[in-house]
Amino acid sequence: MPDGFEERDLVERAKQDPEAFGALYDRYFPQIYRFAYSRVRDQSLAEDVTSEVFFKALRNIKRYTYSGHPFSSWLYQITLNAVADHYRGLHGEVDLEEGSSLPSTAPAVVDEVVRRDRSRRIWAAIDQLPRQQRAAMVLKFSEDRKIEEIAQILGKSSGAVKLLLHRAVERLRRELPPEIEVGLT
Amino acid sequence: MMNDPELEELFGDPADRAVVDLLKASRPAAPPLDPHFRNYLRAKLMTQARQTLPARASRSWFPFTLSPKTLAPAMAAVAAGFLVVLGVEIYLHNGQTEAQQVACVCTGINNKTDVGTGEPIVIPFTGPVDKTAVAESVVMQPATAVTKTWVGQNLVIIPAHPLAANTAYSVSFKPLATPTPTPAQNPVVRPTPAVAPTPVVVHFTTVRPPVPPVVPPSFKSAGVSYGYDSRLADPGTILSATWTPAGQVLVTRPVGQLGPGSSPGPSASATPSGTPASKATTDVWLMSSLGTPIRLLVPGGSFPAAAPSGGLIAAWQAAQGTQVNLGVWDLQGKIQTTVATVDGVPNRAPVWIGEDRIAYVDQGRLHVVDLHGTQVGGLALRVGNGRLAASPASPRLAVDAADGPVILDLRAIGSLTSLPSGAASFAWSSKGDLAFVVQRSASTDIKSANSDLYVATAGQPFQKVAISPDGQTWSDLSWSPDATSLLLATTATNGNGAGPGLVLVNHDGSSPTAFGPSSKEFASPQWSPSGDLVLFTRRDEAIGGRAFWTATATPSTDSAANRALAEVAKFMAARISGDGNAARAELDDAGLAAYQGGSSSLLGPGGVHFSRYYPVTVQPSGSKPNVFLVGVRIFSAKNGVESSFFEEQLTLVAQGQTYLIDAVNASPTLALGHGPTVVSVEVVQTPPGQQVRVHFDSDLTPGTITSDTIQVKDADGKVVDANVTFDPDNHLATLAVKLRPGTYKLVVTTGVTDINGHALAQEYDAPLVISG
Repeated sequence: MPDGFEERDLVERAKQDPEAFGALYDRYFPQIYRFAYSRVRDQSLAEDVTSEVFFKALRNIKRYTYSGHPFSSWLYQITLNAVADHYRGLHGEVDLEEGSSLPSTAPAVVDEVVRRDRSRRIWAAIDQLPRQQRAAMVLKFSEDRKIEEIAQILGKSSGAVKLLLHRAVERLRRELPPEIEVGLT
Repeated sequence: MMNDPELEELFGDPADRAVVDLLKASRPAAPPLDPHFRNYLRAKLMTQARQTLPARASRSWFPFTLSPKTLAPAMAAVAAGFLVVLGVEIYLHNGQTEAQQVACVCTGINNKTDVGTGEPIVIPFTGPVDKTAVAESVVMQPATAVTKTWVGQNLVIIPAHPLAANTAYSVSFKPLATPTPTPAQNPVVRPTPAVAPTPVVVHFTTVRPPVPPVVPPSFKSAGVSYGYDSRLADPGTILSATWTPAGQVLVTRPVGQLGPGSSPGPSASATPSGTPASKATTDVWLMSSLGTPIRLLVPGGSFPAAAPSGGLIAAWQAAQGTQVNLGVWDLQGKIQTTVATVDGVPNRAPVWIGEDRIAYVDQGRLHVVDLHGTQVGGLALRVGNGRLAASPASPRLAVDAADGPVILDLRAIGSLTSLPSGAASFAWSSKGDLAFVVQRSASTDIKSANSDLYVATAGQPFQKVAISPDGQTWSDLSWSPDATSLLLATTATNGNGAGPGLVLVNHDGSSPTAFGPSSKEFASPQWSPSGDLVLFTRRDEAIGGRAFWTATATPSTDSAANRALAEVAKFMAARISGDGNAARAELDDAGLAAYQGGSSSLLGPGGVHFSRYYPVTVQPSGSKPNVFLVGVRIFSAKNGVESSFFEEQLTLVAQGQTYLIDAVNASPTLALGHGPTVVSVEVVQTPPGQQVRVHFDSDLTPGTITSDTIQVKDADGKVVDANVTFDPDNHLATLAVKLRPGTYKLVVTTGVTDINGHALAQEYDAPLVISG
C-alpha cells in the first residue's frame, strides 16, 4: 500500500507530469481492472471500462483534490460510474440501490457451480447480490478497503455500508447451497 | 480468524463469522487479462498525457528522477516488454488502374517509443496477401536476425535475440496480394490484385533501460521493495519455469498451448520444429517475462535448465517407448547434442555445472556428463528426492544424497563434504556462497516446527545464521544477484502464525523482512539475473491451482548519482522542447561558456531539433568527490524519423544541494541506419579486475568482436590487455581487464560488422574513469 504522503506527491505531480501519471497508472491498473471485471464479468467490457476510467482520470486529474481518502477511492468511483453508464446504455436507467434479489432458483446456482470449488461458488453467489451489496462486498473482501473508504466510493455513510455488508452476509448465509454451509462448519 | 477489527465489530454471530471467514479465505479468481492490454492502454494514455499535460521542461520543479522507486513500475513493464503490434495500411491495386484500399490495421505502433525488447512483433493483415512473398520481403534495421511465421492473418516476426534497448528500429515489407486465379480459370473472380508500389515501413523505438548505476544497487533485505505483480499464465498452463541469463523464462507447458501472435488474434497451435514423441504431454518454451510465448524450443520436452552464460539449454525430451533423452538445444530450438538416454520419467531438471558439464539423476543415482555424453566424476551417488544445485563459481554440486547431504567437488574425484543432516533447499550465490535450511524436527508438536538457515561463505565452513520464528518453516532459497540477501518462502505450521509468503533475509541472517503482500500463498521464488523481477508461484484459492507470477523488485541505489542524472534529465528535456532559458539554468558559468564557445550546440545546430536522448554512461570523476561524468546520446529527427545522433560527455559538479553542468565534450554527428552502433557502455567491478560491457544495437558477426576491434587504451594511448567475449543474446561485448585508478578510453573500430556485413560507420570511443 503506498505511503499517503508519497501518493499525494505523486498525484500532485501527475497533474502536470505525464510520467507521474504513468506511475499512477502502473500502480492502480491491477485493482481497477480487477474491480471493473468483478462488476461486468466480461473481459472485453472490463477492458473498455478500465480504459474509460483512466482516460477520465487523465482528463479530470487537475480537478482532483485530496480529501483524506486514498487516490484509489476516486478511481473506484469513476469505475462505478463507468459501469453504471454502460448498463444505462444497455438497459436504460438502472436502480443502483437494491436490485434484484438472489435468484429464487437456487438449484440453478448450484447447477452452475457444481463442478467448481467452494471458493468459486461463494463468489458466484456474491455476483448475484444486488449491485450495491455486491460492490461493498467486493471492495471489502476482494480489495481490502476500509468501510470508511467504501462509504466514500459509494457515496454513502459508513453506517449504510455496514448495513449493506451485513445484509449481504446474511443473505449469503441464508441462500448458499447446502454443501457450502457444510463447509462452513 | 478474521483479523479485521471492522469485521470483528460488525459480525458477532458465529454463523455470520463463519461466512466472513470463508470470504476472507476465498479470494475471487483473478480475472482473465490479456497481458498486452495493460501496455497498450498505457501507451495510449501516455500519448494523451503528453498532449494534454504541460511540458515537463517548462516547470522549474521538474520532478523526473531516475530513482528506482519512480522507475520501477515503468521499467518493469518495460523489462517485461509487450507484444509489438504494427499498424499498417495496405493498398492493393485492383486491375491496372485504380488503387483500392483493401486492408487497414490501425492499432499500430508506428513512431511509438518504449517498445519492449523481448517480444515477438506481430503484423496483422485483414486483406488477402501472398504470405510467403510478404514474409520474404521483411527487412529489419538495425540488422536483426529474425524468423517469420504466419498465425492466421498475423505475420509474426520473432527476433533471434531480444532487441537492443534505446534503439530506433524500422521494419519494412512489401504487402503483396494473394495470387488469385485468372478470369479464364475462374470467370467469377475479379482481376488479380497487383503488387503494392512501395514497401510499407514502420518505425519504432525500444525502451530505455535503467542507467547502469555508479554504485551497484544493494539488495539488502530492508532496502528492497516489492512493486507490482503479474501472472504469467493461468494455473495449470505452466508446469515449471526458470530464468535464462538474458532475463527470459524457460517454461514447461502442456502440449498444444498457443504460440506467439495467437492472442488476441486468431487462435493457433504451436508449430513444433521437430517431431514430438507420441506420448509427450509437455513442451519446453521460451517466454518473455510478461508471459508471451516466444518460441517452442523442445517439443515433448520438460524440466529445462539454462546454461550459465546463456545461449544453450538442457532438457528432457520424450523418445521412443518409455525412454527419455537428455539433450542440449540452442535458444532457436535447434538440438545441439544428446548427452544421455534414460528409461522412465525424470522428476527434476538437469543441472549445469559450468558451461560443459551437466548433472542429472537416473534411477535414484547421480550422473555427471560432459557435452559429449561421457560420464565424468566417476561417482554414481545414491540421491534422495531433494534438490541438486551447482555453484556458478566453481565445479561443486550440493546433493541430497541418500546417506546424507553433501557437497561434491568435481575438481577432486570422490571429494565429498558432509552437510548437516536434513540440509535442503540448496542455493549458491553468484560469488559461490552456499545457503541451505535444515528443518527442525517437530517430533512432539508440528505446530512448533521451524527452520535453521545456514550459509557457507565461499571457502569457509557453514554457519547457522538465522532461525525461523516458531511455527514457521523456511524453504525455496534464492540469492539476490549481489549475494547480499536471500529470498525464501515461509510457511506457517501452527495455524496462528504469519501467513505463507516470501521473506528476504540478509546473508548474515539479519533483518528478515516480509516481501510482498501477506495472505498470499507464495512459493519457489527466483530472482531474475538482473534482480529487477522475482518469479514465484502463487496459489489461486478460487481456481484451486498454482500459477507462476512475476513481481518487480527495486533495490536501493546511490542517491548522489540519481540526483546528478535528474539534473541531466531536466537539462535534456529543456533542450528537446527548445527552452533555452531552462537549459541554461542547468549550467554553471564554465558550462555556459563551454556551450557559448562552441563546444556543443545547446538547442541544435542550424535549425536541427533534438528528438530524444538517453544516458549512455554515468561515472564518478576519478579524483574529485561529488563530480560525475555523464555521457548522453542525443538524436535528431527529420519528418518524425530519427536520422542522426551524437554524444556529449557532461561533467556535473555538486553545488549545494544540486548538480550543475560544468563542462561538455561533444562527438561528431553520426548518421543512423548505416551499420551497427554502440548503445551503451558500462564498467562493472569484478575483483580483482573490471568488466567493460559494450552493448550494440545490431546482431553482429561474432568473429569481428576481437581484441583488435574493441580495445581499452590508457592515458598514453597504449592498449590494455583484455580478454574479449561476445554474448549474441544481448548484443554484448565484454572486455575483462585489470585497470588501476585513472582515465582510459574505450575504442570500438570499424572492424566490427553486423550480420549483413555492414561495418560501424565511424570509430567509436568513450572515456572510462576508474575510481580508486
